[in-house]
Amino acid sequence: MSKPPSTEAAYRPLSPHLQVWKFHITMFTSILHRATGIASVVGAVMVAAWLLAIGLTASGHCPEAYTLFLSFAASPFGLFVWFGLTLAGFIHLTGGLRHLIWDMGLGFKISSANALAWWSLLGGIALTLAFWAVLFATGKVVL
Amino acid sequence: MVDSYLKQRSAKDWKKSEKHGAGEWLAERWTSVALFFLTLWAAWSAFGLANQGYEAALAFVKVPLNAGLLAATFVITMWHTYMGLNANVLDYFPNSRVLRLLNLLFCVAVLAVALGGIYLAFKA
Repeated sequence: MSKPPSTEAAYRPLSPHLQVWKFHITMFTSILHRATGIASVVGAVMVAAWLLAIGLTASGHCPEAYTLFLSFAASPFGLFVWFGLTLAGFIHLTGGLRHLIWDMGLGFKISSANALAWWSLLGGIALTLAFWAVLFATGKVVL
Repeated sequence: MVDSYLKQRSAKDWKKSEKHGAGEWLAERWTSVALFFLTLWAAWSAFGLANQGYEAALAFVKVPLNAGLLAATFVITMWHTYMGLNANVLDYFPNSRVLRLLNLLFCVAVLAVALGGIYLAFKA
């Protein structure tokens, strides 16, 4: 910082520093937790749009609303977006679990922290793949 | 240099943060715990509703328990989102009041859209 901090915000460390880290798994999952959190905001917007589409169709304000929503949400590109959102959401979910474990004061040994980071990352990916595998296997999603 | 600022500040503010200041930190944790269960329920429900069409979606939202859980999920999600996005604003644009205000407006808007949709569907 070039000039002395003068506001309360100036005392905060700027993190995560994307440029200064040498790669290690806890640094990677930390950055990923932030990225997946931001990506999940898109998911919240999509689900809110789904609810609005149901509401507008059911109330008669805009009877085509649900069809319009599906024309995006059920399209191949829409499915690709949903896949990305479930991946981000599940990684953020398991990452959040990792943070809650650390917040309880557990798993701070470097080997434990690394293991937790790996398990949460792989767990999030596994949940996503399982979710979509079952969707395809039950015929709910067809390409 | 930074250290001396921290000492000045903590000497002055110590009494304050002794009583409060953990509120947002705790809110981040409690919303996380709640959302762990609520989003798993949402994923399970989404699995059930996938490819089942409009009528099934409407019937789902019209069940009072589902409508309530959806509303709760959105209130907590947007609260959690507001805190999370604010952490980003404060880290990368520490002096921007505009971005913090935009974040608040955005989160309130998404919440209003979701609650409005639930209300319209539930009432219809």
